[in-house]
Amino acid sequence: MSEVQPPTQEELDAFVRTRLKLAGFDLTLLPEKADPATGVPTRSQVLASLRAFVASTPGAISGWTPPAPTPAYAQQASPPLLYPSVTEAWTGKAGE
Amino acid sequence: MADRALNRRVFLAGSAAAAGGVALAATPALARAATPRIPDVDIPQAARNDPSEATLAEAVVLMRRGKLTATELTEAYLERIERYDAVYQAYAEVTGDSALAAARRADRGQGPRGVLRGIPLCVKDNYFTDGVPTRCNSLVFEDFVPDEDATAVARLRAAGGIVLGKGQMGPLATTRATAPNGTVTTVNAWTPDDPSVDPGGSSTGPACAVAARLASSSIGTQTGGSIVLPSNQQNLTGLKPTMGRVSLHGVIPLSFTRDHAGPLARDAMDAAIMLQVMAGPDSRDPRTLGLPDVPDLIGAATPVAAKGAVRMRRATKIGVPADFLATRQELRSAFLDRLDAIPGITLVDVTYPDDWNLLTGTFNAARLAERTEPFRHWLRADPTRFGVSLLSWLQGLMLSGDEWITAQRAKNHLLREVLDGVLNRCDVLLQTGPVPFDILGLPEIAFPIGFDGDGVPVGAILGGQPYEEDRLLEVAAAYQAVTDWHTRRPADPETNRSRLMAAPARPRLSAEEAAATSA
Repeated sequence: MSEVQPPTQEELDAFVRTRLKLAGFDLTLLPEKADPATGVPTRSQVLASLRAFVASTPGAISGWTPPAPTPAYAQQASPPLLYPSVTEAWTGKAGE
Repeated sequence: MADRALNRRVFLAGSAAAAGGVALAATPALARAATPRIPDVDIPQAARNDPSEATLAEAVVLMRRGKLTATELTEAYLERIERYDAVYQAYAEVTGDSALAAARRADRGQGPRGVLRGIPLCVKDNYFTDGVPTRCNSLVFEDFVPDEDATAVARLRAAGGIVLGKGQMGPLATTRATAPNGTVTTVNAWTPDDPSVDPGGSSTGPACAVAARLASSSIGTQTGGSIVLPSNQQNLTGLKPTMGRVSLHGVIPLSFTRDHAGPLARDAMDAAIMLQVMAGPDSRDPRTLGLPDVPDLIGAATPVAAKGAVRMRRATKIGVPADFLATRQELRSAFLDRLDAIPGITLVDVTYPDDWNLLTGTFNAARLAERTEPFRHWLRADPTRFGVSLLSWLQGLMLSGDEWITAQRAKNHLLREVLDGVLNRCDVLLQTGPVPFDILGLPEIAFPIGFDGDGVPVGAILGGQPYEEDRLLEVAAAYQAVTDWHTRRPADPETNRSRLMAAPARPRLSAEEAAATSA
């Protein structure tokens, strides 16, 4: 696999703005200057925070696969569970 | 192990009954087992002199003996709230009139006759309360008045509990309690003059209300430590049960896969009583169905002794990771020595798997998408209503579906590492932080073990196997039977005007700090 270069700040900014817009979030509803009454972050604070988050977190999560000899076996490993402890009971494993 | 095997048999029997067409309980009250009985605990002189000093169990026993009425107890708490809550700010809403009316009904022999009859409680403000504002300390819910009780609240009331008011909380259950704009509200009951001291969050008000003797007991919620951390910070015993033990119906969500409801109490017995009442299946929350029966928690929290010496009810191996209380070596040693001296306890050194920090650290962010989804309406309509808390709701928008699924896969991997690895060598595990067992939905108990050099309480967190809250209570109860940390109470705050005027300004969290410390 070729090595993918990390996104630039401009690319991150474009991604964040686009994702917000696709989700129906209107950035202009936020203040441009700090608003002590609400404490809500400004537009620039939001963009800076989300650029940092996007640059660090999604890749760290998607970079993980369960230990397995090959990707074909990794697909079979550790099926995704929403409620691990509840599933223990529902599968009859709790307390074995 | 025999009890764990029993859990499985109970599950299988339950499955057979359901398959045979046995109707599930339609209402929470019908799901209850036999009424629990509170043992005749010893009553200390302080509790005889001042009912606000009494634990929940002590208050029940005093009432049973005719030494205390529900009205006297409720009035005692309301007087303290009137006198001190301007300093503590533990309550978002006090329902004094309805609490007093309920107390008087209880004293006349009217109303619910359950185990909590006449006991005043503080309810975190993210639980629906019928006809009482439920604001979740956010402008998002500023005008919200539910027309029903959350299941957990309904069960407490059905057992005779009296709602004294709504406990202040971190906005939308995120941080320590602040106003929606980030200005600190609730203080640590142990340091009322210094609002910079962490009181723990987000169940800050329920913790402060119990620690400051403004309620007998309280209920909170936990997604990332919000029951156990304020319990540790304010010298309480907090119990986050296994996912599904307590219905989340009527609790404003933060994360559907990680929210838990549970008590913040004065000791293990009180936590057991509260959870015994709250727990059990609820047809309105499918996570609660098909699970092992709720064990006898009150029995588990009753210490046992042989020849006058406290011993464990069952032999119990306690796992001790190297980083447990690593920065407080003196407290760590004293605590572990005291535990080790209790007959029946064996301490076992345990190590975490190599990917522990990744799966319990970075992967903690996966929960953020879950808070975004149920709040889309308000994010689109007016994001300023989220105040200082907004950033983590927007971070949730930045995770893709495949990443969220990867995180759920990682949960299963982590679960097997915990159940087949770490917890294969011990029955319960001391925790450095609450998040790993929050992710997995495994039970945790917090209890006091001493104080730091500044007089701020320090506590331990103990994690357990699925549905084994009883084992956690056994350990906490045995430890509390041989120590007195849990009986210490903070001094009342100064309330004279000049002192209040001289109090330092309440600090304020920034949006970035709120995101970094969010549950």
